[in-house]
Amino acid sequence: MAMRTKATWVAAMLALAVPSAASVVKVDGELYVKAKNTRVMESSLPTANVVTVLQPGEVVTWKGADPKDKRWHQVNTKSGKRGFVFQSNLSTTAPNMELVVDDKSKASRKVNPAGFVASGAAVKALSPGAVEYGNKKGGNHQRAVGQLQGLERVAKDVTPATIAEHVKEAGLFPVVGASATAKSSTKSPAPASKSKGGT
Amino acid sequence: MRAGWKTAAIAGLGLWASGCKGLDMSKVAGGVDTVMGTTAATKQQREACKKFNVEPTVTEEYAIGSAMAIHWVQGGGGLMPAADTAQAAATVHGIHQYLNVVGKNLAAQSARPTLEWTFGIINDREHFNAVSSPGGYVFVTRRMLADLDNEAQLAGVLAHEIAHVVLKHSIQQYNAAKVDLCQATVTAEGFIPGSGQFIVTGGSSGNLDLDGDPALLGNLAEKALGIFEKGNDHAQEFAADQMAVKLMMSAGYDPAEYRALLAKTQDSSSIGSRHPKKAERVKRITAFLGTVKDASGEFSELSLEGLSSPPLAPALVAAVRGPGSGVAKDGR
Repeated sequence: MAMRTKATWVAAMLALAVPSAASVVKVDGELYVKAKNTRVMESSLPTANVVTVLQPGEVVTWKGADPKDKRWHQVNTKSGKRGFVFQSNLSTTAPNMELVVDDKSKASRKVNPAGFVASGAAVKALSPGAVEYGNKKGGNHQRAVGQLQGLERVAKDVTPATIAEHVKEAGLFPVVGASATAKSSTKSPAPASKSKGGT
Repeated sequence: MRAGWKTAAIAGLGLWASGCKGLDMSKVAGGVDTVMGTTAATKQQREACKKFNVEPTVTEEYAIGSAMAIHWVQGGGGLMPAADTAQAAATVHGIHQYLNVVGKNLAAQSARPTLEWTFGIINDREHFNAVSSPGGYVFVTRRMLADLDNEAQLAGVLAHEIAHVVLKHSIQQYNAAKVDLCQATVTAEGFIPGSGQFIVTGGSSGNLDLDGDPALLGNLAEKALGIFEKGNDHAQEFAADQMAVKLMMSAGYDPAEYRALLAKTQDSSSIGSRHPKKAERVKRITAFLGTVKDASGEFSELSLEGLSSPPLAPALVAAVRGPGSGVAKDGR
């Protein structure tokens, strides 16, 4: 049987392990960035500038919550920058960093967290074996293959900028940043006052 | 959620008949060419099959997840179709895009932010359900969407399925299928199409090149789905519930809507009998939320401040509840 693999799929596992149980982190302890384009701000004010943008898996030192708004946390980055990060962007446990890259090579390669955002080669589509399996089954399976491939194109077109725009309109938390660079990234306003005060 | 959606795909369980990498398993034992023939040897070889209960590679996970996703879409009557007119097609495209915006925002805050997540609407107008498969495929039925009250509830549905993927619950079913197929192959002592590569190249790692053997991929996907039909056990559902609530809060959604969502589900089901009762699930979520508080001097990932329940996109509401949708709001 011909192996109709269109590209060599290489799984590049970053040196970040499976998440462990949440641990207690105190001031000067280390936290992990968990969302794409995490913005480090000059302050917790809505008008603050972006100091730098971090990516999942990067480590920061926690300096405590902002007394003015405890959902914002002061951090120091590994590159020596200081600023404030929204609570949901930080975690006590490292995220998994799984990439499948289309680099025509069977050799695994490691990618550092900062390089993740630049991994435009990161690909996932319906796997070649699954496509062959579904098409051979024919009928509705074959139709499902075609529909899923179309759906994946829709999903692929949803960018962090699209997400950030929706979050802003819906009054949700500004976790995923629109841009991977500080220059073009601006802070989203504080969530709209739709708070139900928790549950 | 999750179990309780019977797919026609499952009816086709069985070994893929057209594989070309089959092997006479009577001459293969755990990757070496030991000749079988004794009960003791068979027992030893069946025991050796447990080596396949290992963490899959990402590529392997994508392959099995892709095959399972094909089954979910096929069994659910396809994805919500693009209608005849260009305007209707644009609407369906738009609500799929909306679903992916909401889903990918949540997934980006999960412990697997670098998976390429894909969210879709299954055309099933009867079952109130959502399913997922490894590699980041999440599907919601059209019927379920019709019954949601707001975006926070949609987020709850998607977050629950994201949690199953993050926690690799279906991988446990896949691994069980791998071990089962290996043991069946050993016992059969005969030609099993599509399973030669399974044993030979499985080697000591227990990982498989599924894309190199679509017949084997099909076998395993169908077996895993057969196991899936029994539903996730209580511990898996409770874990997915708790992670879902965490993801909702991380994104800014009010977790009270998750409890409202659970209230819409039904306890009784002909399948998925291992699912816990919703009253117990609600009780555990309430208990978890009671533990969320700021600890002085310690970092807290979650807060109950500023949470909200934004409305659903009007286009989605109109598409799933509008004339011709065939969905009665209270027809569950």
